[in-house]
Amino acid sequence: MDLSTGRRDDWERRYRLMSLMRRFEEACLEGVASGEIHGELHTAIGQEAIAAALAEHLLPGDALTSTHRNHLHAIAKGVPLVPLLAEIFEKETGLCGGHGGHMHVFSPEDRFSATGIVGASLPVALGHAYAARLEGRDAVAVAVIGDGAVNTGGFAEAMNMAGVLRLGLVVVIENNEWAISVPFSASSATPTLAERAPAYGAVGERVDGLDIDEVSAALGRAVGRARTGGGPAVVEAMCYRFRGHYEGDLDLYRDGAEKARRIAEKDPLRLAEQALDAAGLVTSERLAELAASADEEIRAALAAVRAAAQPDPRTARDHVFASGLVPANAVREETTA
Amino acid sequence: MTVTAARNINVSQATAEGLRLEMEADASVLVIGEDVAAQGGVFGSTRGLLKAFGPGRVLDTPISEMAFTGMAVGLAMEGYRPVVEIMFVDFIGVCLEQVYNAIAKIPYMSGGRVPMPVVIKTAGGSIGAAAQHSQTLWGLFAHLPGLRVVAPSNPYDSKGMIAAAVRSDDPVVFIEHKGLLLQRAADFAFGAAVPKECYDVPLDRAAVVRPGADLTLVTLSGSVRHAVAAAAAAADRGVDVEVVDLRSVVPIDWETVCGSAARTRRLLVVDEDYLGFGLSGELITGVVERLGLGALDHVARHGTPDVPVPAALSLEREIVPGADSILAAVLRAAGGTR
Ligand SMILES: Cc1ncc(C[n+]2csc(CCOP(=O)(O)OP(=O)(O)O)c2C)c(N)n1
Repeated sequence: MDLSTGRRDDWERRYRLMSLMRRFEEACLEGVASGEIHGELHTAIGQEAIAAALAEHLLPGDALTSTHRNHLHAIAKGVPLVPLLAEIFEKETGLCGGHGGHMHVFSPEDRFSATGIVGASLPVALGHAYAARLEGRDAVAVAVIGDGAVNTGGFAEAMNMAGVLRLGLVVVIENNEWAISVPFSASSATPTLAERAPAYGAVGERVDGLDIDEVSAALGRAVGRARTGGGPAVVEAMCYRFRGHYEGDLDLYRDGAEKARRIAEKDPLRLAEQALDAAGLVTSERLAELAASADEEIRAALAAVRAAAQPDPRTARDHVFASGLVPANAVREETTA
Repeated sequence: MTVTAARNINVSQATAEGLRLEMEADASVLVIGEDVAAQGGVFGSTRGLLKAFGPGRVLDTPISEMAFTGMAVGLAMEGYRPVVEIMFVDFIGVCLEQVYNAIAKIPYMSGGRVPMPVVIKTAGGSIGAAAQHSQTLWGLFAHLPGLRVVAPSNPYDSKGMIAAAVRSDDPVVFIEHKGLLLQRAADFAFGAAVPKECYDVPLDRAAVVRPGADLTLVTLSGSVRHAVAAAAAAADRGVDVEVVDLRSVVPIDWETVCGSAARTRRLLVVDEDYLGFGLSGELITGVVERLGLGALDHVARHGTPDVPVPAALSLEREIVPGADSILAAVLRAAGGTR
C-alpha cells in the first residue's frame, strides 16, 4: 500500500467503505443463520478491497454488470443499502420486490445488474458500452467476473467484439483462485488471465487485490483509457474468498490450515489497518471509530429490512411482461379447498 | 446373482453408485463436468468416482459448457459413452447448441451411422433459488426430437435409471431434482430401499406409485412425493387417487397412463415445469387421441404457470405446485362433473 499518496480523509473514506462492505456481508450471514435468507448465498468476504476501489472510479453514467457474488459491486455502484439488503432478504421493500433475490439484483437507475449464469454479465456490459458510444457519452461499462468466468464462451466473444469496436469495456476479474472446487491452476491454460487481454486488442494488468491502493491505481488506468476511447482493458485482481463458495458449502476441497493462514494474514481490512496505523496516517482509535460507524449504519439497515414484510403472494404473476400481459394459464386459480 | 439386503440410501448416493457400477462394467464410460471429480458433484451424485477411476475418466472442467458438451460429441464418435454434467439445468442455455444440433440430430442426420450414447446429467426443480436456478425444463428438451428425457423420483429409480441411461445407445437427458437430492434417505416414502447390485430401471416404463379408483394423477420427479401426500389427504375426503410416476417424458408410457385413465375416467396432470406448451398439454392430448373424447369425464392440469420462478418463498409457493396446491387441484378435479 502506498501511503504517501492520498490524503488522510481519503484513506478514512476507503477504510470506512471496506468496513461497511464487510459488515454488510456479515449481516447477510446473520440472515442465513436465522433462516431469513435461503438458497445459495454467495458472499465476497475477503474481496472488499476490489469493490471499494471500484467505487472510486465509477460515475453514475457508467454501468456495472455483476455476477452471483454481487453484493459489494452493487454497493460500489451506489445502489442504496436498504433496498439492496431487503432484496437479498427477499422482502417486499427490496429493489425488485423480492422477485429477483440475492443473485439477481437490478437497479436500472444506477445502471447496475447481475446474473446467476457464469459469464453472462460480459455481453451485457458490451451493450452498455455500445450505448455510450452511440450517444457520444464518455461512460464506461465495467463487467466484474470471477476467474472461472474467463473460461466461458461469453468471455471470448464479448472481449473480441469490444476489441474490434474499441469499446469502453473494463473487465475486472476477481481471481479468488477457485471456481467452486476447481482451482484456478487446473482450469486456465495461461498462468495469468491478464495475459489473455492482448489477444483481443485489450490491455491487461494483474494486481494484488488485497491492496486497495494498487487496485484503485490499476482501475484508474483502465477506466481512464476506456473513457477516452482507448478501448477495452482487463484488470485481474488476485484475492481469496474467505467463506465456502456459498453458505452451506462444506469447503472440503481447500486445505483447512492454508485457509486459516490466508484469512489470518491476508485480510484486506486488517492489512489496511496495520498499514495506516504503522504509517501514523490514521490512528487505531480513529479506525475503530470508523468501523463502529459502519457497523451502526448496517445495524440500522438490518433493522429496517427485518421489519419489512415478505412480498404479497398476489404479486407473484406481476412483471412477466412490461405491458401487464398475464398469460391465461398464469391467472390465479381460485382454490376450492 | 446373490441379492443382498437393500439399504436405505439417498438419491445422490444411489446415482453415484449406479454410475460407479456402469463405469466398472464398461471402460468407455466417462464423467465430465464442473466439480464432478474432487468435489464429487455439488450434490454428491458423482462422489467417489474420481478415487475409483482416476482423473482421466472423471474430469473436472473449467466453466466451459459449450466446449465440454461438444467434447461429448467427439468422444461418442470415438466410441466412448460420456456422461456430461450440467450442474443446474438452467445453465443449458450456454451449450444448448451442442445438445440439440449435435447430440440430438447427428444420429438422424448420419442416417443412423453415428450414434450418440451421451447422458446429459443435470439437476432441476424449485428450492427457493429464484428464476435462473429453479427451472425443470423437461418440456424444452422433450420438444427437441432425438433426445430421451427422464426424471426419477426416488433413490431406487435414480440408481436404476442412471444405469439404463448410460447403457442406452440413445442420448438421454437425465434430470435430477434438487429437492430430492437434498432429501434424507429416511424421508423417502417409497423407493428408498436400494439393492447393492447392478440393476436397471427401464427408461420407458411409468410406475403406479399409489393405486386408486377415482382419479388418475400423472406426475414425475419432485412432484411425486407431493402427489402421494396429497393423495393420502384426499383419501380422508373420500377421493381415491391413483398416482402415476411417469419417470420418462420421452417416451411417454402411454400404456400405463391410458390404462389408468380409462379405469378412473378422470385425468389430472401435475407438472413442476412451465404449464404452457409442455408435458401437461402433451399428456392430455395424447390420452384423448388414444382413448377418444368419450373415455374421460374430466381432464385437468396443474403446473407452474408461465411465470419465471420468483425468489421470495411467499411468491414461489404461490406458483410452484406443492402438496397443498395439488390437493386442491385433486379435489377440484374429483368434483369436476359430479
Ligand atoms: C454457465 C454456468 N455454469 C455453471 C454455473 C455454476 N456456478 C456458479 S458459480 C460457479 C463458479 C464461479 O467461479 P468464478 O467465476 O471464479 O467466481 P467465484 O465464485 O470464484 O467468485 C459455478 C461453476 C453457473 N452459474 N453458470
